[in-house]
Amino acid sequence: MSGHDSKYFSTTKKGEIPELKEELNSQYKDKRKDAVKKVIAAMTVGKDVSSLFTDVVNCMQTENLELKKLVYLYLINYAKSQPDLAILAVNTFVKDSQDPNPLIRALAVRTMGCIRVDKITEYLCDPLQRCLKDDDPYVRKTAAICVAKLYDINAELVEDRGFLEALKDLISDNNPMVVANAVAALAEIQENSTRPIFEITSHTLSKLLTALNECTEWGQVFILDALSKYKAADAREAENIVERVTPRLQHANCAVVLSAVKMILLQMELITSTDVVRNLCKKMAPPLVTLLSAEPEIQYVALRNINLIVQKRPTILAHEIKVFFCKYNDPIYVKMEKLEIMIKLASDRNIDQVLLEFKEYATEVDVDFVRKAVRAIGRCAIKLERAAERCISVLLELIKIKVNYVVQEAIIVIKDIFRRYPNTYESIIATLCESLDTLDEPEAKASMIWIIGEYAERIDNADELLESFLETFPEEPPLVQLQLLTATVKLFLKKPTEGPQQMIQVVLNNATVETDNPDLRDRAYIYWRLLSTDPESAKDVVLAEKPVISDDSNQLDSSLLDELLANIATLSSVYHKPPDAFVTRVKTIQRTEEEDFPDGSEGGYSESPSHAAGASPPPTASSAPYASARQPPAAPAVPAAPAPVPDLLDLGMENNNNAIVPVDQPATPAGPPLPVLLPASTGQGLQICAQLVRRDGQIFYNMLFENNSQIPLDGFMIQFNKNTFGLAAAGPLQVPLLQPRTSASTLLPMVLFQNISPGPPNTLMQVAVKNNQQPVWYFSDNISLLVFFTEEGRMERSAFLETWKSLPDSNEVSIDLPGIVINSVDATLERLAAYNMFFIAKRKHANQEVLYLSAQIPRGIPFLIELTAVIWIPGLKCAIKTPSPEMAPLFFEAIERLLRS
Amino acid sequence: MISQFFVLSQRGDNIVFRDYRGDIQKGSAEIFFRKVKFWKEDGKEEAPPVFNLDGVNYIHVKVVGLLFVATTRNNLPPSLVLELLQRVARVIKDYLGVLNEDSLRKNFVLVYELLDEVIDFGYVQSTSTEVLKSYIFNEPIVVDAGRLPSLGPAALFMQGNKRMPGTAVTKSVVAHETGGTKREEIFVDVIEKISVTFSSSGYILTSEIDGTIQMKSYLSGNPEIRVALNDDLTIGRGGRSIYDYSGSSGSGAVILDDCNFHESVHLDSFDVDRTLSLVPPDGEFPVMNYRITQEFKPPFRINTLVEESEHFKAEVILKIRAEFPSSVTANTIVIEMPLPTYTTRVNFELEPGAVGQRTDFKESNKRLEWSLKKIVGESEHTLRVKLTFPQELHGNITKEAGPVSMTFTIPMYNPSGLQVKYLQIAKKTKTYNPYRWVRYVTQANSYVARI
Repeated sequence: MSGHDSKYFSTTKKGEIPELKEELNSQYKDKRKDAVKKVIAAMTVGKDVSSLFTDVVNCMQTENLELKKLVYLYLINYAKSQPDLAILAVNTFVKDSQDPNPLIRALAVRTMGCIRVDKITEYLCDPLQRCLKDDDPYVRKTAAICVAKLYDINAELVEDRGFLEALKDLISDNNPMVVANAVAALAEIQENSTRPIFEITSHTLSKLLTALNECTEWGQVFILDALSKYKAADAREAENIVERVTPRLQHANCAVVLSAVKMILLQMELITSTDVVRNLCKKMAPPLVTLLSAEPEIQYVALRNINLIVQKRPTILAHEIKVFFCKYNDPIYVKMEKLEIMIKLASDRNIDQVLLEFKEYATEVDVDFVRKAVRAIGRCAIKLERAAERCISVLLELIKIKVNYVVQEAIIVIKDIFRRYPNTYESIIATLCESLDTLDEPEAKASMIWIIGEYAERIDNADELLESFLETFPEEPPLVQLQLLTATVKLFLKKPTEGPQQMIQVVLNNATVETDNPDLRDRAYIYWRLLSTDPESAKDVVLAEKPVISDDSNQLDSSLLDELLANIATLSSVYHKPPDAFVTRVKTIQRTEEEDFPDGSEGGYSESPSHAAGASPPPTASSAPYASARQPPAAPAVPAAPAPVPDLLDLGMENNNNAIVPVDQPATPAGPPLPVLLPASTGQGLQICAQLVRRDGQIFYNMLFENNSQIPLDGFMIQFNKNTFGLAAAGPLQVPLLQPRTSASTLLPMVLFQNISPGPPNTLMQVAVKNNQQPVWYFSDNISLLVFFTEEGRMERSAFLETWKSLPDSNEVSIDLPGIVINSVDATLERLAAYNMFFIAKRKHANQEVLYLSAQIPRGIPFLIELTAVIWIPGLKCAIKTPSPEMAPLFFEAIERLLRS
Repeated sequence: MISQFFVLSQRGDNIVFRDYRGDIQKGSAEIFFRKVKFWKEDGKEEAPPVFNLDGVNYIHVKVVGLLFVATTRNNLPPSLVLELLQRVARVIKDYLGVLNEDSLRKNFVLVYELLDEVIDFGYVQSTSTEVLKSYIFNEPIVVDAGRLPSLGPAALFMQGNKRMPGTAVTKSVVAHETGGTKREEIFVDVIEKISVTFSSSGYILTSEIDGTIQMKSYLSGNPEIRVALNDDLTIGRGGRSIYDYSGSSGSGAVILDDCNFHESVHLDSFDVDRTLSLVPPDGEFPVMNYRITQEFKPPFRINTLVEESEHFKAEVILKIRAEFPSSVTANTIVIEMPLPTYTTRVNFELEPGAVGQRTDFKESNKRLEWSLKKIVGESEHTLRVKLTFPQELHGNITKEAGPVSMTFTIPMYNPSGLQVKYLQIAKKTKTYNPYRWVRYVTQANSYVARI
């Protein structure tokens, strides 16, 4: 809930925090409530009010629901950074979960599930168990979702405590809200599990279909989506399912309609009766069209889905082409999708109407839309042989308007039309040649040159036309140069007269000696060799008949299409990419053979066996970086860094999958790698790894900068936000100009006690880094107390004893670290000594080893440490005594991490 | 399930930010805004409502100038999220009375309370204002609607129609009235958005009506309501041939291509007597959406004449004829027409005695704009425009200008002829007689004449 990073570095007004603190402890209820509201306000705009944790939590025990909710909101936000204090709230949570008021019971489990602190989670199980069987449906539906929350934190716990079974029982609950949430929770858990947990049997199917009628609209979507994984046994069952689902098409909620469409499409695969299928298609058409009356955002999603549906079942909307005509005020993203569908639905019957529309669009204002409209005309010509002539005459009309980009686009598509219908429409070449001078886009130029070369024998002045291009040969882009080379060779082979002979020499010279482009040079040498050894075989090669091209408007490969159709209504169907191309958490469940369709036709809708061989590069490019993300979910200490995913989504309207390159190349410097604090995916290619270190009595910030962007970066500067220790840079950040694909590391000297943040100590250190090319980057680091332990921390035995005695018992704090095993006293001491924790003495108590050590942080504050453990047995007790007991949580965190690693 | 929900102002400020799952970095709002703002290098093209960036899916809608955004890492149904975002906006509007940056900021505690009940762990729980009422404890702080645009189609009634109580649409459904008891009233609005495309010769190429029967109830005790529609209403084309010409008078049969209903609507007797019965939940909601492609009489005819008068000059004559009865008046009419990009000067000539008309030539996109405060039915208005060009014409000026597009609002008129015959409220007592407002309005969606 932070938000407002702009205010990141702004200072809180002096006195605001103490003032709030006072108000929070007021004896008046209303004043306390107002104070909590103020705290929440500060929190939502990004101010750090974590220091008020105890005071806010003290307000938690109240009958006032409004106040309680506010305190809970605060807890969710800060519990993670204050795990030790969060424990204070546990008792109230547990009490609340047994409150007579169902709202309070629900609120307690809902909130506990959101606090991802292990210690709290432990206490969640019993209340959750009770709430899953609560009398009140509001509590049960909240508990159902809470199981999914707990599974995300600790999957084992969920399985051990039998929550999965309890959740499955809720599918039979008499309250549809509870059923819907149970289904949602189970579906999510299944998604993240490798073994079958939530399998829909014909029994659950009928239960869920019944619940469907009583659910809220959102519950209907959860249930329909879960049911879409069910495979009907035969055509009869499929028909039954469809019959139960069809009324959903009449729903006002577009999500319900699309999920119902998905269900029906999937079941239709099994239905053998053509009458039933035809009838279903008829029923689906009006609701699909009605989606286009919704907000433009929903229209866009509907259109992307319809695009897939009409590829598989063109008959559904064959008579509805008019509804895809662009409206004047449609957003451009809607217009582009409509054009695409119009091409797909264009037929001999409606082509005149469609052409009229395209012609109108081609004179609109938006350049991208106009170009797409012109291309659409060309694609219709290629698709519909009988309409080709009409399409061409429209193109010629457009060329005559002489709008530059229209002409160029038209020439590009006419080249394709020539390829599709050889020796049919060459009579228009003369008209095309009139526009020769205005061409300035490489693709259009190349297309025109191709036409001249291909039909050189029919164009009287072909040599003159080509010659006009030759003057600028060296400056042309490679695309044009290649076409010029080929066209000149064609001309020479067709008209081996003096003019072309001279031209070919100029071109070959330009394309071999005077070029750096290897493709051009190689092609030129091949022609040269061919022409010089055997002109006749050169003719066979260069002038060979070309294969006829076909319509590309149904461009999706059929296996990919089937996979996308199985994902209708989901993001996958909007991107036209299979889910594993963009989802970071993918299902790893293995499908077995018998789950395939009984009739064994086409391989059907099963997840992945097909697309690996399909025409989509993303899966291979992306599967490697994702592999690590599939590991069992552990509660991450810092907000999970996004997987380094390349920009998979070239949302351009064409299917351009080629640009995907994995960018994941971690640099591994000597020693343990530094933690990544700013992933390249966040930093527009800039990756920053950093860690505080102590070298020769001085604290440094050890930083590694990696430039994965396309541009050099320089002018790096750094700033630190206020933190508990007042850590700040002792000098400017020394990072040289960073070229793309290079990295630089630096040791930034740090000083202490500069800008000290108020409130209880914490380990948060917020850092801002800027450079001259990019926006300011913000990231947070965790300070380890260990770096502050000075070399002066060694104590004499007597001084240790004296200090111990002089400190009151209230200054002693201890903790049990259950997971830590001491295997060797000496090795442990050596490790601790490396971090300036000095050995004083040891004794044996029963089978336990007790170690005493001393350490000291700046300003001479000593830490007296007592470690108790049994060798080889997990479990370490750690007690410290210090004048600053508020530092204890930080110390425990640091030592635990050290001894665990 | 969604991971985060946030609302951004037009400038990109975070107004509301709620993280439900913690699996997406906090800076996502900034990343999103940068991407949307500069979707194409020139910043002109609008970003699509759904896109993926670095593994995070961003789904957004625009509501009264605010961006409502959700993020997720999963392959979830985007239509669900888009519907949810619209619904969240509507629920907030129901509670606050007015939805704008100011009201959101003033009521952030209430908004967060709502968000926690509407969504749990990224799963939608309920978006019904009625249901939510039992779980929400904060009282809204009502802000002045001011001149800010209000949300939803009912906002149409705010302008130019004195018969409507203008404050009703900006009234919170939960706030207690300052002056004692709540006023018992219910609004039923029949809103039709029409799209018509005329060919250059004046034929209707496509025509469509997107209609909604919208309801907003302030009735206490949730009485049952019966809404009766035209007896001869037919659903689905193809059942009978469309010979009946249904004009604005509503004489012929009304044939809907398709329709859908709010989940609170009972259709038990709909097939028999075309009556919908429902217990309206609190808040604004669509009772029924319908779509008509049956031919109807367009409210306006647009006539455009383009003539090359002499060298470097041309004249455009725009003629608008209102085809609806003279008892009806259209308001806020704007007619636009793109002119050839090389147009240098434009001179307008309004008809003599024209009142409430304005003309403008937008130099930046070479567009002429003619706005009229109102047009009375059966009247006709003409505008003459002289264009000057720096060069001789190629003789195809009509291909480089136009089409003419038009926006307007016509209260108390709906071209489909769909009618609410009666609105029956189950009576509690003899004296119980709440205010019932049945209102009709027609608005242009895409109203275009090619030239």
